[in-house]
Amino acid sequence: MSAVIEIEGLRKTFRSLRSGRRVAVDGFDLLVEAGQVHGFLGPNGSGKTTTLRALLGLVRADSGRMTVLGEPSPELLPRVAGQVGAIVESPQFFGNFTGYRTLRLLARAGGVPVSRVDEVLDLVGLHDRGDERVKGYSLGMKQRLAVASALLKDPRLLILDEPANGLDPAGIREMRDLMRSLSANGVTVLVSSHILGEIQLICDHVTIISRGRRVATGRVDEVLAGHDRHEFLVRVAEPERAVELLHAAELTAVVDGGALVVSGVSDPTVVSRVLGEQDLWVGELTPLRPDLESVFLELTGAYEHSSVPRQVGDSSLPQGEAVIDLDRGVDA
Amino acid sequence: MNLVRAELERLSARRFVQLMVLLLVLAFAVTAATTLAGSHKPNADEMNSARAQAAEARQGMEVAFQQCLSRQNGTLPQSEMGQYFPEECSSIDPIRQDRLPIPADYLPGVFSFAGQALPLLYFLIAFLVLFGFLVGASYIGADLNSGGVVNLLLWRPRRLTVLAAKLGTLLGTVLVLALLASVAYLATFWVIGQTAGLPGQLDGDFWRSLGAVHGRGLVLVLLASALGFAIATLGRHTSAALGAAAAYAVLWELGGRLVLEIVDARRPDQLMLSSHVATWLSGRTRFYDPQVCAGSTGTGYCESFYSLNWPTALLVLLVLTGGLTAAAFAVFRRRDLI
Repeated sequence: MSAVIEIEGLRKTFRSLRSGRRVAVDGFDLLVEAGQVHGFLGPNGSGKTTTLRALLGLVRADSGRMTVLGEPSPELLPRVAGQVGAIVESPQFFGNFTGYRTLRLLARAGGVPVSRVDEVLDLVGLHDRGDERVKGYSLGMKQRLAVASALLKDPRLLILDEPANGLDPAGIREMRDLMRSLSANGVTVLVSSHILGEIQLICDHVTIISRGRRVATGRVDEVLAGHDRHEFLVRVAEPERAVELLHAAELTAVVDGGALVVSGVSDPTVVSRVLGEQDLWVGELTPLRPDLESVFLELTGAYEHSSVPRQVGDSSLPQGEAVIDLDRGVDA
Repeated sequence: MNLVRAELERLSARRFVQLMVLLLVLAFAVTAATTLAGSHKPNADEMNSARAQAAEARQGMEVAFQQCLSRQNGTLPQSEMGQYFPEECSSIDPIRQDRLPIPADYLPGVFSFAGQALPLLYFLIAFLVLFGFLVGASYIGADLNSGGVVNLLLWRPRRLTVLAAKLGTLLGTVLVLALLASVAYLATFWVIGQTAGLPGQLDGDFWRSLGAVHGRGLVLVLLASALGFAIATLGRHTSAALGAAAAYAVLWELGGRLVLEIVDARRPDQLMLSSHVATWLSGRTRFYDPQVCAGSTGTGYCESFYSLNWPTALLVLLVLTGGLTAAAFAVFRRRDLI
């Protein structure tokens, strides 16, 4: 598959008199291939938006190489800009314009047929509200308008920064369906979001960034599998006795609530056999698979039991500079 | 072209622009209405009386000049020696005056287009300069601040093209608006002069002089628009332009002038932007400075005045506006848009 977005060694430092020097992106790599729906995850202040802004030529990278649809960015981005739809954070629109007029204006500026405006308003569910002024829109409606603006060009590549911001549950589901439908039609999607469950549902690939560096990348199922501790939830009549029996069989088990969590088990039948032989019959044996949220929190250190409130930017750096890349192996 | 059309739509839809146009129309309507209400067509008696008074005034000037010459020659009768005459009689020579008394000067309550067109035009130019500066600053300042420029750059990732399209659209729109407003404005007062006042002496010299001021005024309006745009681009905000203008006026035009006077600096007015604006509009401006004659021996006549001429004024205004605009483009080309 051909690369639609390639970022290698992106580095960006912001300097200001007041707050000094702050490294926003520190040697970040990203590869998005054609046809992927690629999730881009990271805690607040981890460098997601800066990366997207650098990719789209809105901030100047200190170093690194970026290409979009095969063209170096930002130098030759104008060559492919007509095929790239993007929203970065929540775009501000002119409050006095109607949704239709806003899109018509962008269509004119970008040389897109105005007939496309009705199509995209329909796609994002604003067809009947297109003649209302933007200042009267709810946050979710503004977000839909933003997505509509990104779709206006009928793009080959769609870059969406937090597209679900402000959307209600139905809106989130519609957005998910829309992305799936775009992907089915060959559009490559790069989407950043904090709604990890959504990313897990929508995306086939994921890249996780923490403190400006990539900490994981690859197929979603492979990233999850890489963090599978082979844990099982076990329900039995006498949990305390069951723990002793499992320890005797050299298995790790702890009582968690009214159940047991047994870890490091490659074959779950061993658990039922060990307990069954002592007349303890297993009522439930459920594999505890990691979800994207737990992997994300583990990799970024974004959740720790602490009495001190976590601060923006307190996320983890990759241990020993190693990056989990399930497509390429481990980069030192 | 598409970009310019889109920008034109954005500019014309801005509430601030609409408000300023409304204020312009309002100021125009109030001035025209009060002029119309306070003027009437003079009857034959009023005209005859005004002509007589003007002729008398011109004759009086001629007599005073002749008396001054007589005093200089020592032929002035003793009975007339009590009058004041200037050192240099040429300063009251009627031929050397900018204008001589005309009947319109003696027609109270009668609007004379020829006499009032220039001050009216100056008022309009002042308004349009303010309009251009504020609209230029708010057009880019609000867009930079709200993320509108970022939105546009996602569509057209060519920074200089986008900024140039914005500046070009601004200047084109302001020029057309200023042209239409000034023509409508002058035409309205011309009609008032024809129907409810006096047209005055509308000869070739008058129209040439009015046209020159009009043309220079339009250039000034464009320069002010570009200046507001450039400062707001550099400061990323409309208020940067307003703050810079206010700071300049207070710190330099007031404070700086005071300091220059205290230290007896030579020709302080030529260091003030306001002097160059006035010079550009009028073509030539004379400024008083006692230092000019400080070195004279006292044997020859020395006037404590010096002049600024329009080419110098234009150069100063162009360098200032051009420099700031070039800086705005250079900064915008490399700036992080966050």
